[in-house]
Amino acid sequence: MSSPVQPPSARRFSPGRIAQWVAIGFALFWSLAPIYWMLSTSFKTELEATRLVPTLWPEAPTVANYVGLAGTSLPFVAFFVNTVVSCLVTAVVCVVIATPAAYALSRARFRLAGTVGYSILAFRMLPMVVVLAPLYLLLLNARLLDSGTGLVVGFTTFGLPFAVWMMKSFVDAVPIEIEEAARVDGYPRWQILLKVVVPLILPGILTTATFVFMEAWNNLIYPLTFITTMDKQTLPAALVLTFTGQFKTDWGGMMAAATITTLPLMIAFFAVQRSMVRGLTSGAVAGA
Amino acid sequence: MTKIVLRNVEKHYGPVQVLHDCNLEIRDGEFIVLVGPSGSGKTTLLRIIAGLEHITAGDLYFDETRVNDVDVGDRDIAMVFQNYGLYPHMSVYDNMAFGLKRRKMAKDEIDRRVRKAAEMLNIAPYLQRRPRQLSGGQRQRVALGRAIVRDPKVFLLDEPLSNLDAHLRVQMRTEILKVHRAVTATAVYVTHDQVEALTMGDRIVVMADGRIHQVGTPDELYDLPDNRFVASFIGTPAMGFFDCPVAQAGGRAEAKPAAGRIRLTGAQGSLLARNGRDKVTIGIRPERLSLAQRDDASADVLLEGTVDAVEMLGAEQYVHFVVEGGELTARVPREQQVRAGQKVAFRAEAKHLYLFDAGTGATLR
Repeated sequence: MSSPVQPPSARRFSPGRIAQWVAIGFALFWSLAPIYWMLSTSFKTELEATRLVPTLWPEAPTVANYVGLAGTSLPFVAFFVNTVVSCLVTAVVCVVIATPAAYALSRARFRLAGTVGYSILAFRMLPMVVVLAPLYLLLLNARLLDSGTGLVVGFTTFGLPFAVWMMKSFVDAVPIEIEEAARVDGYPRWQILLKVVVPLILPGILTTATFVFMEAWNNLIYPLTFITTMDKQTLPAALVLTFTGQFKTDWGGMMAAATITTLPLMIAFFAVQRSMVRGLTSGAVAGA
Repeated sequence: MTKIVLRNVEKHYGPVQVLHDCNLEIRDGEFIVLVGPSGSGKTTLLRIIAGLEHITAGDLYFDETRVNDVDVGDRDIAMVFQNYGLYPHMSVYDNMAFGLKRRKMAKDEIDRRVRKAAEMLNIAPYLQRRPRQLSGGQRQRVALGRAIVRDPKVFLLDEPLSNLDAHLRVQMRTEILKVHRAVTATAVYVTHDQVEALTMGDRIVVMADGRIHQVGTPDELYDLPDNRFVASFIGTPAMGFFDCPVAQAGGRAEAKPAAGRIRLTGAQGSLLARNGRDKVTIGIRPERLSLAQRDDASADVLLEGTVDAVEMLGAEQYVHFVVEGGELTARVPREQQVRAGQKVAFRAEAKHLYLFDAGTGATLR
């Protein structure tokens, strides 16, 4: 039986398809090339890494950089634990505060609702450096400088406004009728939030937490400013301090350390990727 | 079982007034339907009874208790929403049990009630499913089930059938009435569909522009509409209207159509005389008009006009025709051939005419 519809294979090389693949290829190159460069450099000797004409592939691959990391006197495990703990705590704190805040911003009708919402957003728009000095003084007076708690406070000031706005969009997507049904069923607001809204926006909460976590992980300026004891330093900041000297930069060692730093983040991302995509696209209430 | 009384209820959203001076008494156990076009305020009125909207002015009573400031959760009402409002993350069973859990009811009592309601609504096989795994009709039953397990004093339904297809809608109408008889709660039902209103309501509240136009049984609304709006809204196809000149002479009045004749009854004549205007709006229901010869001398009412359009409905056809001052619709057997553009005459009995004030639209009485 002949079919008027072309089989899919015949359409594989249409011009539109080719353009699509080229675009995807370019995007992949754009985002993966730095990662390749990081990996490749981490396996190069010091001499090759700094060569004037760079090599794409290590001529004499070596794990010396990784061995060097392990052999160093610096407490990389402590750096790693510091970072994971401070970023996780920041993510949890941000989400716990942002959920009710976002719910209130989304649902409550009060005179200054818009103003409050936009001032939260405006804070987010400040360059990080602007709040650095006041935050430093604040932490100094609270005796929180050079402590993990102080770091969490710093990360939270920046992560929270973002978290509130991101969560608000998820709450906005929950149909109001579902909440009204719960009100008719006799539930007070806070229980509606916990038992109806939170389960519905769970993918959104996870997405927000991941973003906050990654942002905190990538934050260099706060740990470099607030933490003075090397043992309490976070991994990215420690890397900068260790491998960037006044007269030379140990590219190979830095890239080896960067590879190890990036891994947990990538693992975290892949773990939540599925729900994250769902959270970002569907507003968390598919099939409501 | 509760009597609901609204006294001078008003609702404003900022400068916009959406309900004007609404007065209504809903009897104990009654099934009352709020009907009106979109924007008539019927849903707002329902939400005020539910407690989901605040009252700007006026009072709302459940029996003798003023409930203006009673929170929605404490009013002992159940509500069925237009889009069902089911909890997507819960099973059908949990959707129905959610409200009972809040009331700290014993587990086996919750189970008994949920299963009984599920039996009644034919959703027992789906108790463990999520709402998104159900069809529209099944979701609607779950929403109904969630409302009846609570055994509420007042049962509120906001256009519950508007998302269903026509066939299912007719079937669910009967089911809802069956449920209402079983739970014996006072029910308030909102719809924009006047057929739904006529078939379901013990009494009907016709609303438009935030006002209650008339409250009555389906028969009362059909036979004795208070004004032109109610007359046009109740009945399918809708009543036709035309403005007719009136000759007033020495306490007597006669309607003088441009083409044809109208011999009013004595009572109708004195109504026109008392009204005193030189014009009256006359309404005629399509089923009261029949085709006639132009020289038909026996007819009380003989109206000549031009056919505008013919709607063929199988056994019968609706003939829309233009007369001086308006447009009328007639229900005509299929055998009688009528074409658009044709000059026609229709007859009717004088007692089937509805007379409205040409200015205000109020029924002359």
